[in-house]
Amino acid sequence: MAMAIDEFDFSSYSTTTTTTTTTSTEDEYGCNWNIWSPVINWDALSGGSDDFHGLIESMMSDADGRIHAKEPCKSGLSDTTATVADEEANGQDDFKGLRLIHLLMAAAEALTQSRDLARVILVRLKELVSPDDGTNMERLAAYFSDALQGLLECTVSNGSHGNKHLPSNNHGSHQDRHYHTDVLAAFQLLQDMSPYVKFGHFTANQAILEAVTHDRRVHIVDYDIMEGIQWASLMQALVSRKDGTPTPHLRITAISRVGTGRRSIGTIQETGRRLAAFAASIGQPFSFHQCRLDSDEMFRPHAVKLVKGEALVFNCMLHLPHVGFRATQSIASFLSGAKTLKPRLVTLVEEEVGPTGSDSLFVGRFMDSLHHYSALYDSLEAGFPMQSRARALVERVFFGPRIAGSLAQIFRSNGEESVSSWGERLPALGFSRVPISFANHCQAKLLLGLFNDGYRVEELATNKLVLGWKSRQLLSASIWTFSDSDL
Amino acid sequence: MDITLFTPKGAQLFHSNQQISDQLDMQSTNNQQPQASHTSTSRSSDSVEPYIDGKWASKLLRECASAISQRDSSKIRHLLWMLNELASPYGDCEQKLASYFLQALFCKATESGKRCYKTLTSVVEKNHSFDSARKLILKFQEVSPWTTFGHVASNCAIFEALEGESKLHIIDISNTLCTQWPTLLESLATRNDETPHLKLTVVVTVSLERSVMKEVGQRMEKFARLMGVPFEFRVVSGLNRLEELTKDELGICEDEAIAVNCIGALRSVPVEKRVSVIRMLQSLRPRVVTVVEEEADFSSSKLDFLKCFEECLRFYTVYFEMLQESFVPTSSERLMLERECSRSIVRVLACDDESESVEECERRERGYQWSERLKESFLPVRFSDDALDDVKALLKRYRVGWELVLSQGNDCGIYLSWKEEPVVWASAWKP
Repeated sequence: MAMAIDEFDFSSYSTTTTTTTTTSTEDEYGCNWNIWSPVINWDALSGGSDDFHGLIESMMSDADGRIHAKEPCKSGLSDTTATVADEEANGQDDFKGLRLIHLLMAAAEALTQSRDLARVILVRLKELVSPDDGTNMERLAAYFSDALQGLLECTVSNGSHGNKHLPSNNHGSHQDRHYHTDVLAAFQLLQDMSPYVKFGHFTANQAILEAVTHDRRVHIVDYDIMEGIQWASLMQALVSRKDGTPTPHLRITAISRVGTGRRSIGTIQETGRRLAAFAASIGQPFSFHQCRLDSDEMFRPHAVKLVKGEALVFNCMLHLPHVGFRATQSIASFLSGAKTLKPRLVTLVEEEVGPTGSDSLFVGRFMDSLHHYSALYDSLEAGFPMQSRARALVERVFFGPRIAGSLAQIFRSNGEESVSSWGERLPALGFSRVPISFANHCQAKLLLGLFNDGYRVEELATNKLVLGWKSRQLLSASIWTFSDSDL
Repeated sequence: MDITLFTPKGAQLFHSNQQISDQLDMQSTNNQQPQASHTSTSRSSDSVEPYIDGKWASKLLRECASAISQRDSSKIRHLLWMLNELASPYGDCEQKLASYFLQALFCKATESGKRCYKTLTSVVEKNHSFDSARKLILKFQEVSPWTTFGHVASNCAIFEALEGESKLHIIDISNTLCTQWPTLLESLATRNDETPHLKLTVVVTVSLERSVMKEVGQRMEKFARLMGVPFEFRVVSGLNRLEELTKDELGICEDEAIAVNCIGALRSVPVEKRVSVIRMLQSLRPRVVTVVEEEADFSSSKLDFLKCFEECLRFYTVYFEMLQESFVPTSSERLMLERECSRSIVRVLACDDESESVEECERRERGYQWSERLKESFLPVRFSDDALDDVKALLKRYRVGWELVLSQGNDCGIYLSWKEEPVVWASAWKP
């Protein structure tokens, strides 16, 4: 994988082409308005003292109101490569980034209190940002503004928002070729630019491989098969096992939904056909089934056809960047259905949520989400600082809708549900942890080694690998089994 | 995404509906309260208004004023920052109010009101000229009866009070650049009996206007010649404050019938000196005194910042909205009038500790308050039916929304109301 040689060459920082026609920081009051910017205590929000992009550190260290142009990079590389003009530009970027954060926070706060104010703040934000150009923070702020706008519209038009379904993150009617090309391209780019998808797939697959070494038949129930590439690589691994065991028969049951074309390319059937063709081409015994969910999207275990003697695996890729949003109840039904069927293994990949502690109010979780996605954006940029248009495409196709869906979920559940990940709920359902093997952990490290060394993987709670960028934990892959099934 | 719904124009739609119900509430209580927000039922913790009244700036400004009076510095900073982000002197009403009040609140919080006021004043002084001032006044008179209301009412009262007199002396304490007098001169010229001799003494209370009075005088003399009215023009401009005015400076002759015309003048007198100024006017032995003031109370709350702030916000919200609806959107005159307000707002809200060094006081009072003071030295004069007809005819020339309201109860005079909110008070008095 080609890496940008000068990943810390900040003279290549994305140049802001957006012109700000607003009041300068020193206006007729003769004061620097940044002094008046509220200081956010990120420690309280993120639980860590390290933070994104050096911006937050400048906020905390300048709590007295001394704002300096911050050095752009906190890594070991010196900023002698950056010219003075760049430092100034970065200082300006920092100011603007700070301002955007504060505006976003004010908007989130206003959303729960005063819609007039929220509307006005969002209008202001829209003037300052664009989803297509500018710095990471600016583009991110554009998507977050859009998401907040969506929430505002929903609440305005509906009055109450209890029953409002999530803003659709499927481009329903966008079945045209142009759209599909975009998604294809974006997906490819996502995989090239970041390890997220592969991390989820490889960690799950490795655990599956380890769990079914002596089995003749393997049956995987996949909650969200998308394009099925996870199974292509599993099949390759199965046929090339070196220990001489015969290749087991692989059966995949893909959960499909009544709703029409999501962001996957084509239908589940096409995915099945593709996988079958691929399996045939490498000599993998294979069969494919669909399990249709009703319109309520609730999983019913009896709808899955089981075969005696097969090793059952439940695969649940929830929050990979390209995966859409599923209703909480649907996911819950899938996992409880797993409990009924007592699978050999459950592989779960989900977002890591920051420790917001007791602050489960909208604003706290909103800021956490902002932190999360900014780390995501940063991770892509660090690896590919020059490819801003490519990144913008990935952001538009995947991250933007995710942000909208994520905020909608947070907004709906404001204060009513405590924040917990799905993994935390599994022990209560009777699942027990399956330790991550050394090999699996090494594989993850190797994978990350292909990308940028800002990525980190750590093992938590024996059965979980967490992928993070710098110190922000982003994605976790955990392995479970049902207590009385034997391994 | 189509955000036209969320542009200020969209917000205006909701806002004006709410305002009308505000007016109706206000009329019955005669006291504008901020509309209480009805609690919503759907959300658990936070109180969210289900209405959209568009008045985001008022809420923020109030919170900020409250934070200032509580000296909550982090809250002050946060709110000032937010206001700065969202305000603009070129935006819609809410944005403008945010901008100008922000300036005043900022000055109050940083105790820099005096300096700010001086800066604002000097900027205006540099650009001030007879042409620009006259253009501004005339344009305003063209689109709104805000000032002409008082002129017409006063002229009627003066004309009637001086009926039959042959030597008239009008003492004009105002900043109208004599735009009031041409119509009176016409009336005098067409009077049934012999055209009287008119002496006009203008007392200038705003420092700005001194420079332009020469031209004003020349024009008035020319106009009087055209009308065939024997005319004499004098200016008293050496004063720094109205309370320094004495009878001697006015050059009053024994045989003159005197009328005193105070348009927006008494409010420039410090509150505690108002009674003595009125007594001084009484000592001139005028036949009639006409007083016109804007209907707002900034004086009884001099010591109560929040109360004063509320009243200021109420009054200027009405004023700005009136300006918005009267002028075309791109009017530069409107901008100048708004800027004048900004000076007043700073003066009232942020300069109160330093009344010595700042010249003009701007503490308006309401009609009933002035009435109480004036009653000590004068008797109220009821406006004649002719006068009321003239005023009504005047109002018909303008857009819908303007009305003449007669006083009730203890107060005297008449009110100009806009969208059922009294905004200007005009009255006449005799010894």
